Amino acid sequence: MTRLAGKHAFVTGGRQGIGRGIVVAFVSEGAAVTTCGRGPRPDDLPESVAWHTLDVTDAAAVAQVVQPMDILVNNAGVQVEKTVAESTDADWEAVIGPNCKGVFNICRAFIPVMEQGSIINIGSISGQVADPSMALYNASKAFVHGLTRSIAVDHGPRIRCNAICPGWINTGMLEAGFDLAKDPSAARNDAIARHPVGRFGQPEDIAAMAVWLASDEAAFASGQLFTLDGGMTAASPLNPGLF
Amino acid sequence: MMGMLEGKVALVTGGRGGIGRAICDRFLREGATVFAADLSAAGSLSSPDGESRFVQLDVTSEPSVQAAMAHVGDEAGQLDILVNAAGIEIEKTIEETSLEEWNHSFAVNVTGTFLTSKHSLPLMRKAASAGASASIINFGSYDGFIADPGLAAYCATKGAVHALTRAMACDHGPEGIRVNAICPGYVDTPMMQSFFSGDAVGGTGKSEETLRQAMRDVHPMRTYGTPDDIANLVNWLASDEARYASGQLWVIDGGLSAQVQQMRL
Repeated sequence: MTRLAGKHAFVTGGRQGIGRGIVVAFVSEGAAVTTCGRGPRPDDLPESVAWHTLDVTDAAAVAQVVQPMDILVNNAGVQVEKTVAESTDADWEAVIGPNCKGVFNICRAFIPVMEQGSIINIGSISGQVADPSMALYNASKAFVHGLTRSIAVDHGPRIRCNAICPGWINTGMLEAGFDLAKDPSAARNDAIARHPVGRFGQPEDIAAMAVWLASDEAAFASGQLFTLDGGMTAASPLNPGLF
Repeated sequence: MMGMLEGKVALVTGGRGGIGRAICDRFLREGATVFAADLSAAGSLSSPDGESRFVQLDVTSEPSVQAAMAHVGDEAGQLDILVNAAGIEIEKTIEETSLEEWNHSFAVNVTGTFLTSKHSLPLMRKAASAGASASIINFGSYDGFIADPGLAAYCATKGAVHALTRAMACDHGPEGIRVNAICPGYVDTPMMQSFFSGDAVGGTGKSEETLRQAMRDVHPMRTYGTPDDIANLVNWLASDEARYASGQLWVIDGGLSAQVQQMRL
């Protein structure tokens, strides 16, 4: 299927994980895709995809790569696992820089040159309900949610803007977390038991929603947060079956 | 092009109404076998039947629901997709609403969703055990989050549907059944037409077109929705692309509820 044929998309953070899943899905739907990351071009990036080595927190650098786009995906993000009391000024810069200022920089630079189109921000369930010891990350995602609504209200009908709020997605980050548990296998099983669909998400699951939101089928969808978490946050965190 | 719902069996309640009919048409185009269940073959529209198979259904009657599911079982053997689109709206405050009207609203919007979902489970499990994920899509509303004036019973029923959606997702997710709710904003249907002529906005002396334009203007997308806009998202939630989507309320309203703003009709 080529639901994005003729469209040009810019995806931040396409090196790995969810960002890479979105890049691959967009390409297979016929879009011309440009992506970026702080390091050099990854060796395994499909040849047709353009790459910019870019730090989204650097507004001047962002201005250098701006060109008209039909689809903008703000996926690049960083997490630091600390409470407010533990977080340093450097942690603030590390999280708020890419997750808030980066999304703002990209939107501010691209919106004026987008004739019309769809902006998709990657928010998080953590922006709605708190993950423990993720204070700055949780807050940064709530910022993304608020910015999403503001862009939808201020720049509609020319631009639609929505956020996808992923739950626990199978990326290297998730497995690394389990490896730190006392009993990694028990921790993994407990986490899966909290998912009505019986598994963690895959980057492809998020990419499927991103394709839909980017496509003309979503012409009436704007200003919303779309949660994709396998049903996890529909259940009370106090799931009696787990005790 | 391969349809997104090739080989799937779907039943849509309110399947001959404004949004339900658009959903049935879309499902047919995507390759599904579609049963359109409604009180009458014409539903709330006067246009001719679509190509869906008509099933007579009163969602408030348990025998009627059981007979409809038995019919689907006989004809198709399983059910991959259930869309609970049947719904009614009473344009009144609680003071104006009689107990009979209140009970009827809950009977159609909430009890109907309960009954069809409950009796669809054996057929949904058959679909899920064949390896694909079965999908139930309920109809909530943005009115389940923020209220429109003079729609008290309707708002309450939609809030109930939202909570029921999450509960069903938790209980039946392990069986391979996904449950989500679509929460439309304003969509151009017979129900919206009725809203324009109702007490809440009627009697203002303004022309219907003036009211429609005012409604368009209050949306960030500067338009209200069409039944096809809703069918687009229902189709996605019904398809295997949405295999990780469950337990959620999917608001689709042209940006209406993203803003802090009241309708000024």
